[in-house]
Amino acid sequence: MMDNKKYEEEISEVKSLDKLNELEIKYLGRNGEINKLLSEIKNIPNKEKREYGQKVNLLKTEIKKYIEIRKLIVSKQKSEVFFDKTLPGKTYPKGSLHIVSLAIEEITKVFEKIGFIRVSYPEIDWEYGAFESLNMPSGHPARDDVETSFIDAPAHSTLGKMVLTPHTSNGQNREMKRVGKPPIRMINISKCYRPNWDATHTPMFHQFEGLCVDHEINIVNLKGTLDYFAEKYFGKGTKTRLRPHHFQFTEPSFEVDITCNVCGGVGTIHELSVQRKCRVCKSGWLELGGTGMVHPNVLREGGIDPEKYSGWAFGFGIERVIMMKYGLDDIRNYYSGDIRFLEQF
Amino acid sequence: MNIKITYNWLFEYLDTDATPDQVREYLSLCGPSIENVEKVGDDHVFDIEVISNRIDYASVLGIAQESVAILPMFGKRAKFKMNPLNEYKFERINNELRITNYELNVQIKDPSLCPRFTAIVIEDVKIGPSPKFISERLVACGVKSINNVVDISNYLMLALGQPVHVFDYDQIKNSTMIMRESKKGEKIVTLDEKEVVLPGGDIVIEDGSGRLIDLCGIMGGLNSAISDKTKNVLLFVQTYDKVKIRKTTMTTGVRTIAATFFEKGLDPERVEPTLVYGIELLEKYAQGKVGSKLYDIYPEKQEEKLLVMNFEIFEKKIGVKIPEKTINSILTNLGFGVVIAPSKGQTLTQGQTLQITVPSWRTNDIDIPEDIIEEVARVYGYQNIPSILQPIVYVDQPKDMENIFVFQNRIKIFLKHLGLNEVINYSMISKKMIEEFGLKVEDHLRLSNSISEDIKYLRISLLPSLKKNIKENSGKKDVLKLFEIAKVYIPVETGHAPSLPNETYRLGIAVNTDYSDLKGIVEAIYMELNINVETPYRASVPEINEKNGVFLAEIDFQSLIDNCQLVPKYKPLHPYAIIKLDKTFDLRANIKFAPTTYSEIKQNAFKSKLLQKIEVVTLYQNKLTLRFYYSSPDRNITEEDAKAELYKVRPYGDGVT
Repeated sequence: MMDNKKYEEEISEVKSLDKLNELEIKYLGRNGEINKLLSEIKNIPNKEKREYGQKVNLLKTEIKKYIEIRKLIVSKQKSEVFFDKTLPGKTYPKGSLHIVSLAIEEITKVFEKIGFIRVSYPEIDWEYGAFESLNMPSGHPARDDVETSFIDAPAHSTLGKMVLTPHTSNGQNREMKRVGKPPIRMINISKCYRPNWDATHTPMFHQFEGLCVDHEINIVNLKGTLDYFAEKYFGKGTKTRLRPHHFQFTEPSFEVDITCNVCGGVGTIHELSVQRKCRVCKSGWLELGGTGMVHPNVLREGGIDPEKYSGWAFGFGIERVIMMKYGLDDIRNYYSGDIRFLEQF
Repeated sequence: MNIKITYNWLFEYLDTDATPDQVREYLSLCGPSIENVEKVGDDHVFDIEVISNRIDYASVLGIAQESVAILPMFGKRAKFKMNPLNEYKFERINNELRITNYELNVQIKDPSLCPRFTAIVIEDVKIGPSPKFISERLVACGVKSINNVVDISNYLMLALGQPVHVFDYDQIKNSTMIMRESKKGEKIVTLDEKEVVLPGGDIVIEDGSGRLIDLCGIMGGLNSAISDKTKNVLLFVQTYDKVKIRKTTMTTGVRTIAATFFEKGLDPERVEPTLVYGIELLEKYAQGKVGSKLYDIYPEKQEEKLLVMNFEIFEKKIGVKIPEKTINSILTNLGFGVVIAPSKGQTLTQGQTLQITVPSWRTNDIDIPEDIIEEVARVYGYQNIPSILQPIVYVDQPKDMENIFVFQNRIKIFLKHLGLNEVINYSMISKKMIEEFGLKVEDHLRLSNSISEDIKYLRISLLPSLKKNIKENSGKKDVLKLFEIAKVYIPVETGHAPSLPNETYRLGIAVNTDYSDLKGIVEAIYMELNINVETPYRASVPEINEKNGVFLAEIDFQSLIDNCQLVPKYKPLHPYAIIKLDKTFDLRANIKFAPTTYSEIKQNAFKSKLLQKIEVVTLYQNKLTLRFYYSSPDRNITEEDAKAELYKVRPYGDGVT
C-alpha cells in the first residue's frame, strides 16, 4: 500500500464528489487504510517506528492533497457540464393586483400632487345624497337618466329611500358639510351601481369624482385641472376639449374629450399603406366623461354661500379610463373573477 | 335622444357659407353635438344628440338658430334668411270673414292638461304621395313616408320641433272633442293597431260618441286616422303637461318621437307658426283649404322671463374677460333680448347692468345668471378659454380616511408579493350563494328592483364570493390563492328612524391548498403589520373555514389598522447568551394533564419571563418538537436556568429533551 501508488490512479479516475467522499472515508476515515497502517505501528520494531510513522503521515498528507485537488477538478467539471446560465432562476411567487386597484392608486397619486385628498363616503345612501342634494328634486326627469337600484328598506321621513349610489357625486354634499368652509379639494373614488348588465355595462363599476370649491374658482381652473390630469395619466401631449352638455348639478356643464392615443388625435391611421378611420375614436377624440361648474343650488345645499365661493366638479369612470389607456375593452372580465384575467396584472 | 335633419333643409331658413363638415365641427364644439354627417344624394344628413334640457334645438329651426350664433364665431357667414317665427303668424290665415263649412266643439276638462290647444279643419284634401323633397328629406332623416298629409305632419315636427297630429275630421263623432284624464283600465287602439290599456290619469280625447280617439302627445287613435278616403283633415297642434305625458309613456311603454318631445315641455308660442306653416303645406301639397275657424285655446300666455345681471360676473365665473360687445351679440344671436341699463343708483358710464329677456323657447332651461354665463361661454368657445390650475392649498385629510387607503394599498401589495391574486367581486350576491355558505338570507339587505337573481343581496361577508371564485377557476390553474378587500353592508336595527347600514371594509382570503397555507398567509399579514400574535391575548387570528376543499378566512380591516404598529416596539440589543432548547411533546389526548395543542403549550411556556420565542421543529405523528429560545436582557443565563424554565412546562407534558 505504502509503496504502490494505486490510490493515485484510483482517485484520478473518480468523476463524482460522492465517490470521492467514499474514497476519503476508505483512506482517511476512522477505519480507513491510513488508520489501519498506523495501528500496525505496534508490530514495527522500535527503531523503525519513527521512520514508519513519518512515512504513513506523509502518505496521509499526500492522499489528502490528491483528494482535495480532485474535488476541485470534479466540482469544476460538474459546473461546466451541468450549469446553464440561461436557465430561469429560482422561482418566487408572483401574485397580482386588480387592474382597477392599480388605476385607483395611479389616479389618487396624480391628484394628491395638486393637493387633493381622497375621501371615503357611503356606497349606500339616501335619495337625498344621490339626488336632492345635487339639484335633482323628487319627480325630476333627470333622475330617470340615472337609473338607480333601490334597497328594500323603510324610507327615511326626510331623506327618502335607501339607494345604491349610482355615482360618486353623493360625496359632494357630504364633503361640503364635513369641511364646513372651503377650500375643498376632494377626490372621491368608490364603487357605483346601476341596474344595467350587458356587453358594455356591469351593474357595479367605479367612478372618481373631483370637487374643488374655493374663492374665485372658474372654468379656466377646471380646464387647467383636466389638462393636468390628461397629461399625467394618459401621457404627455394628451389634449382635452370641453363640449357643452347638461347635468343638473353643474352649470355650465360640459363633456370632456381627450385626444386618442391610438391615432394620435388625427382620427385616421396609416395602415397597409392606406389611411383608414381610427377604430377607437371619433375623429381623433375620445369621450372621458361629464364635468362642470358646481351649481349654486348644490353649494347652498352643502352650506356654502355661492355668492362667496364657486367650484368645479367632475365624475369619470375608472373602467372607462382603463379602457382608454390600456385598451381593456371587455368590461365583463373585470368582475368575473377569472384567474386568467386577474393574474395578468 | 338623437334627431336627424339635413344640411339642405337648413337653407330654408339659413344663409351660410359653412360646409357640412364645418357645421358639424363648429356646432359640436359650441352647441349641439353632431355625431355623424352622412352624404345622401346631393344632401347631407346630420345625426344630432339632443341633451335633455335643450329640446328647443331639436329641429331644423333650432339648429339654424344655433348656427346663427355659433358659425360667425368661426368667421363663417350665418344669418336667417327667413325666420318662421316672424313669418308664420295667424294673420296669414285671415279667414275671419270667410263662411266656413265645419266646426269643432271643444271641451277641455282641466286647463292644466293642455297649456295651448289649436286646431283647424282643412277641407277637400287630396290624399296622395308627398312631393319629392318632403318624402326624400323624411326618409333621409329616418321617418317613413306614408302620404302627403301624414308626411306633412312629420315634416312640421322636424322643421319646427313641434309635434303635430292630423285626424280624419269626419271620423270625429258629432265634431266633438272632450279632452280629459283617462280612467284606469280604459282602452284605446292606437295608430300602430295595438291596444293600450291605460293606467289612469293619462291625457286623452273622446269624441261625441264617447270613444277615445287620441292618446294625447303620444299616439293618435286608429279610429280617427288619416286613410286613403280622408277628405277633411283636422290639423291639431298643442302643448301638454309634460309630467303627465312622461308618466303615460313610461307606464304604458308606448314611446314615440312625439312623446320624447312633449315630455320635455314645449314652447306654447311655437304652436302658432307650426299651425300656420301646416296650413300652408296642406294647401300647397294636398290641395286642401281652410274649412273651419281657427281654434286657439291659450288661457295663460306665459310671461316673458327677465334676468338682470352685471358684466363682471362673466369674467369671475369664466376666468377670462369676454368683450361686452361679444357677450351682447352672442346673446342676441341666440334670440335673447339684451338691454344695457345703468346699475342701480349709477349712470351708464359708472356701471352697467344687463337686462336679459329669455326667448320663449328657452324658458324651461334658463333660470339663473349661471345659465346665461354658459350660453356666452360655449358660443365664445371653450377652446378659446385658457387653462390654468387653481392655486394649490393644503387640505387636511382625516386620519381615519387616510389610514383606510394607506393600509389597503400596503396589504394589497404585500399579498401580491406572497403570490396571491386580487379579485374584485360584485357587492351583491344571490340567495343561493348565501344559503350554500350557511348564512341567513334575512341578515342581508335586499335590492327592491334587482335586474338579476344573481345580484340581489348585499354582502355581509366576502367569503361566499371568494368560494365561488375558487370553484369557477378550478381547472384553469392548479394552485389558487385569492384575496379581496371590500366593504360589507351590515343592516343596522334601530328602534326609531331608519338608518343606513354599517359599511366596513373586510379582507377576505381563499386558497385551494391547505389549512396551514392559509394560516401562514394570515400570520404573515400580522407580522407585516407588527401585530404580535406570538404572545397570547394580543390579537386573535381569525377562524379559518373549510368548505369543500376551499380554505377561507375573513378579517375586519379596521382591526388590522387599530392593532398595527408602524414601527414595532424596540428591544434593546444585549450581549447576553441565548439558550436554545428543543423539547418534544406528546399531543395524545389520553395522557393525563397532557396539553393537547400547540396553543396550550405556548400559553404555558410564555408564562416564563425569559422565553423569547418558540419555533416548531417537526411534527411527527403525535410527537411535536419545539425549539425554545431563552435569554435575559440584563444577564447571562445558564443552560440550567433555561432548563428550569422549560421544566415548568413539564407538569403538563411528558417531554423528553
